[in-house]
Amino acid sequence: MGKLPPSLRSANFAVNTLIKTPSSSVPHSKIPSPSPPSTSKPHYFPKKSLSPKRKPTSNNQQPQLPSIVAFDSTTLSDAKTLFNSLISNPKNVPSDPKFYNSILQSFSSNSTLQDSIFFLNHMIKTHPPFSPDRFTYHVLLIQSCKSVDHSLSPVHQVLNLMTSNGFPPNKVSTDIAVRTLCSSNHEEQAIELVKELSSKDSPPDTYTYNFIVRHLCKNRSLSNMNSFIKEMRDGFDIKPDLVTYTIMIDNVCNSKNLREATRLLGVLSEEGYKPDCYVYNTIMKGYCMLSQGGEVLSVYKKMQEEGVKPDLVTYNTLIYGLSKSGRVKDAKKFLSVMMEEGHIPDAVTYTSLMNGMCREGDPLGALALLERMEARGCAPNSCTYNTLLHGLCKARLLDKGMELYDVMKKNGMKLETGSYGTFLRALCRNGRVAEAYEVFDYAVESKSLTDVAAYTTLESTLKWLKKAREQGLVI
Amino acid sequence: MLPQRMKKAMTDNPKKLANLIDLVNLPSTLREFMGQSQTSRLGCFKRVWSYIKENNLQDPNNKNLVNCDEKLKSILLGKPQVELTELPTLIKLHFPKAPR
Repeated sequence: MGKLPPSLRSANFAVNTLIKTPSSSVPHSKIPSPSPPSTSKPHYFPKKSLSPKRKPTSNNQQPQLPSIVAFDSTTLSDAKTLFNSLISNPKNVPSDPKFYNSILQSFSSNSTLQDSIFFLNHMIKTHPPFSPDRFTYHVLLIQSCKSVDHSLSPVHQVLNLMTSNGFPPNKVSTDIAVRTLCSSNHEEQAIELVKELSSKDSPPDTYTYNFIVRHLCKNRSLSNMNSFIKEMRDGFDIKPDLVTYTIMIDNVCNSKNLREATRLLGVLSEEGYKPDCYVYNTIMKGYCMLSQGGEVLSVYKKMQEEGVKPDLVTYNTLIYGLSKSGRVKDAKKFLSVMMEEGHIPDAVTYTSLMNGMCREGDPLGALALLERMEARGCAPNSCTYNTLLHGLCKARLLDKGMELYDVMKKNGMKLETGSYGTFLRALCRNGRVAEAYEVFDYAVESKSLTDVAAYTTLESTLKWLKKAREQGLVI
Repeated sequence: MLPQRMKKAMTDNPKKLANLIDLVNLPSTLREFMGQSQTSRLGCFKRVWSYIKENNLQDPNNKNLVNCDEKLKSILLGKPQVELTELPTLIKLHFPKAPR
């Protein structure tokens, strides 16, 4: 492993982020496309993406509305007085319910749930033209979810209020409640609520369900998530779909749990799902995470057998995996394959390939690739430069590395831990300690690393230099 | 990968980290130089290094050497000339391990 670290890490990071994006955007980008549910879904989908974002929209609206209420004081009586004075002027009272919702929202943002409910009642009583709609109650629902402590009683209170006013909770309510609870770290309560709502009749839809699963993946243990899935399956016949499996596979691959990943793949096919491009990409990425980059080729072959069309991420992962496992020749081949297929290689593609070439001891080839990449109109990023800098320093081509560093400095690019360390070592080895100090200054100044990390690296490099001198390894 | 992991371990090690960034009451010699009575080892290193740069104390023929002025001599064991390589070690002398 000694040879690989930072360049690997740099590309690893880039590839990860790139791969993560599609898999995390899967539920939203992909689901509307399949034909059967699409009639109902697209209708529902926009509403969904609206609802969590409703806060900003109503906030944006505030300035446009006349004399919108800013609640300086959080007491109920002040708010009532303010509202009364507001409606006393007929010019100020638009019929749009959004107006009242935003008033309620701005009040609720810094008051207690009880006060908000009282305030809503006051608004209804003193101003009959205003009739609360579902959104009005969702404002209260969000507030109640935020004020959850150990029991769900505030949420129940609002849900009951909704039911008694003719707005029994629906999927949107479930989704809002779950997202709010999860974002305030109340996963247990979210699960409890979902189970409860499933047994009444607003079960979570696939978006909500997948949201919880992903949230549990990130924040809770695997067994925790598995028991949630089992309970939902046994209790309410809500089963994971392809997206859920993609999320779960991605999760176990990230934690290098090969056994669970294999099991999930088995379950996936047992359930009759045909893996799509996202699943395959996730599996490929999994192999890369498990340091079995060479296996990506077999996944690619399988994709071809199954007739699944690879996308940009597939090729990027493929090239990354092959580069990582030292099969740069194959990786280069795929660069041309992907271009023939009409995919434009991006900075990640090139960086992965350069990473492989540097690892093979061909940083000059990687440098030539940088030129070609720029000629093709693809701008290198800091990852690219860090990979090259690391490769050049490893190959003892310090002068080239210095040139590259100057370019990085000119563009204000950050150094990564790995390339910073290698660069310092290379400079010190060549007796250019003063320049190493300057690189330290740049690392601190550009906030590439924390002061502590930059200094400890410098200190230990100098210590190493002293030892190497004593042993006569370095002059 | 190994040296990096070691380095990481070093910053992860709370004692060693504390040794680097905790504020320490300075001995009188250092207090005069720093113009403050408390500083961390890291802060002290950065101050000394920027002092060297501000006053152009690096040897013009060999940037790796520092020609100490009187002020710098007072905190660096009175040496007329020090190597940049040994700067962290010299500064560390002012920050003995806290007796426990």
